[in-house]
Amino acid sequence: MKEIIRVDAVWKEYMMGDVLFQALKNVNSTISEGEFTSIIGPSGSGKSTLMHIIGLLDKPTRGKIYIQGKDISTIPDDKLSMLRNEFVGFVFQQFNLINKLSILENILLPTIYTRKKLDYDPDKKARYLMERFGIGGKENSYPNKISGGQQQRVAIARALIMEPKLILADEPTGNLDSKSGIEILKLLKELNKDEGITIVIVTHDRSVADQTKRTIEIQDGEVLKK
Amino acid sequence: MKYFAFIIQTSVNDLYRNKMRTFLTSLGILIGVASVVLLLSFGLGLKAYIKGQFDSLGTNLVFVIPGQIFGSSGGFQGMRSAVQFDEQDLISLRKLRDAIFIIPVFSKSIKVEANAKTDYSTLFSTTEEIFPARNLEIEYGRLFDKTEVNKRTKVIVIGPKVVEKLFDNPILALNKSLRIEGQSFKIIGVLKAKGGGGFGGPDFDKFVYMPLKTGYALNPDKKIAQFLVKAPDTKQFEIFKTEVKTQMLKRYKDDEVTVADSAEFISTIGQIFGVLNAVLVAIGAVSLVVGGIGIMNIMYVSVTERIREIGIRRALGATEKDILYQFLSESILLSLLGGIMGLGISFGVVAIVQPYFPAYVDLMSSIIALGTSSFIGIFFGVFPARKAAALSPIDAIRYE
Repeated sequence: MKEIIRVDAVWKEYMMGDVLFQALKNVNSTISEGEFTSIIGPSGSGKSTLMHIIGLLDKPTRGKIYIQGKDISTIPDDKLSMLRNEFVGFVFQQFNLINKLSILENILLPTIYTRKKLDYDPDKKARYLMERFGIGGKENSYPNKISGGQQQRVAIARALIMEPKLILADEPTGNLDSKSGIEILKLLKELNKDEGITIVIVTHDRSVADQTKRTIEIQDGEVLKK
Repeated sequence: MKYFAFIIQTSVNDLYRNKMRTFLTSLGILIGVASVVLLLSFGLGLKAYIKGQFDSLGTNLVFVIPGQIFGSSGGFQGMRSAVQFDEQDLISLRKLRDAIFIIPVFSKSIKVEANAKTDYSTLFSTTEEIFPARNLEIEYGRLFDKTEVNKRTKVIVIGPKVVEKLFDNPILALNKSLRIEGQSFKIIGVLKAKGGGGFGGPDFDKFVYMPLKTGYALNPDKKIAQFLVKAPDTKQFEIFKTEVKTQMLKRYKDDEVTVADSAEFISTIGQIFGVLNAVLVAIGAVSLVVGGIGIMNIMYVSVTERIREIGIRRALGATEKDILYQFLSESILLSLLGGIMGLGISFGVVAIVQPYFPAYVDLMSSIIALGTSSFIGIFFGVFPARKAAALSPIDAIRYE
C-alpha cells in the first residue's frame, strides 16, 4: 500500500521552566493509504503531540515528516495551512466547533479557506453529510443547542467536507457517553471501509484501540509497537 | 469575492453579537469624526457666508479705507489710522469720471428712541446709491433720494429690526420721528429683512440709513469712514484700482490708505480661518487618536477571547493572512461604523443649526472623515490582528 504519512526520527522537546521535556524521542512510523490505525498510550505519553505533528499543527524539534513521500519539514506556513485544509480532516475530543456559527457554517468553514477549486457544490455536500450522519434538519441550529454525539457528527462532517485523504481523531469518544461513542466509532469504521479514507485515532482507551486494524503504542515519547 | 464577503460577514456578525461593546468602542471615533467634520463645516460655512456678504455687494468693488488694513505677513492689522477721510476726498475721487458709483460711508453706534422706548443701532450716513449697491429693498414707505441727500433733509430709512423694537407696527412707524442722540429724524421707509448678524457679523436689519450730510449732525468732524467705488466694466479692474489709489495718494502717503477689493478681504479672512480651522481640527484629531486606541484595546481583548477559535480556524486551513484579514476587517468596520455615525450626526447637527448658522458639510470633509476612520481602523487594528495571526495553531487550539 502507498505510504501516506511517514515520520522519520522525530523529536519534540519543550522547555518546561528550566527543565527540558522530551515529548517525542526518535519516533519513526509510517501510515499507509486506507489504514485504520490507533495511536494508544497513557496520558502524557506523547500521543497527542505525535498526532499534532502528523496533522501539521505542530513542528518537530528534529526529524522529518513526509506526506505522500514529500518532505514537508521546510515548507512555509501558508503551504502548511493549505495542506491542513486539503489533506487532513480533524476530529477533536472537545469537538472544537465554533459556537457562534451555525451547524452548516461550521461544516462549510474549511471550504472558505481553501485555495483549491472544488469540483462539487460544498453546500450540497454538507447537507448530504448531515443527512448521512443523522443530523439532517439541524443546519441552522448552533453547536451548544445539540448533544455531544451530534456535535461530534458535525465535527466529522466538517472533517470530510474537503474530501481529505486522512482523518485524525484525537480521543473522538472521550467526551461522549458510551452509546454515542460506539456510534461515532462505527461511523469512522464505515468511512474507512466504504470510502477508503485513512483514519488515525489517538486514544488512551484500549477498547477503542482494539477496534482499529493496527495499533501504534507509545509510552514516554517512544513508540513501543509499530 | 466569496472569501471577502465571508470575512466581512463574519466581522459584521461578531460586531453585532457584541452590540453594546461595538457601540461604545466606535463612540470614540464617532466623537472624533463628528467634531472634525463639524468644525470644518462651521469654518467652511462662515467663510462662505463672509464671501457671500462681499459678493452681495456686487463685483468690481474697490474699498477705500484709511490706514493700513492688511498686515505684511497676512491677516489684518489692528492699528488705528491717523488719517480721516472727509468730503475733500469724495470730491477728489469723483474726478474718476468712469466710476459707476462712489459711495461715502460714515458709520457709528447710536442710541435710538421712539414711543418712550430705547434701542441701540448702527448709523450709516451715506448717499442714495448705497441702496442698489447693497441690494437693499424697501418694504414700507420709500428710500431717500439724491435731492434729499444734497439738501441735508432730516429723513431716515431704517431696518426692520429697529422698527420691531420701537413700534408695534412697521406701517405706524412711517412719518414718525426717531430720536437719535437728542435729535429728531423722520422715518420715511422701512427696509426688507436682509438677515445676517447672530455670530459677530453685522446685523444689517438693525441699521439706520441717513443722507451723508444730514449725518453731519451726529458727526461734527464731518468724517467719512470709507468709500465704496464701483469700477466700470469697460476698464480692466486692476488698472481702475490703481487709478483710485493714485487719486488717494495725491493727499495721503502710501501707508495711510488702503485701496482693496473684496478678493483681498476674502483671502485674508480665508487665511485667518485656515489657521483657526487647522488648530480646531488638530484638537478634534486628538479624540480620533483616543478613539483609535480604544479600538486597539478592544481588539486585543477580542483576540484573547477568541484564541481557541483562531486555533480551530488555523487547524481547518486558515492561513496567517486569513486570520489577519479577519481581525483587520473587524477593526476597520468598527472604526468605519464610528465614522459613518459621526458623519450622520454632523449632517444632523448641521441641518438643525442651518437656519441660524451657515454651516454645511461638503463632499471633501465626508471623504476625509470616512478615509480617516478607515485609516484609524487599519492603523490601530493591525497590531492586535498581527498578534492573532502570529499565534501558533497548536497553542491556540489548546488554549483554555
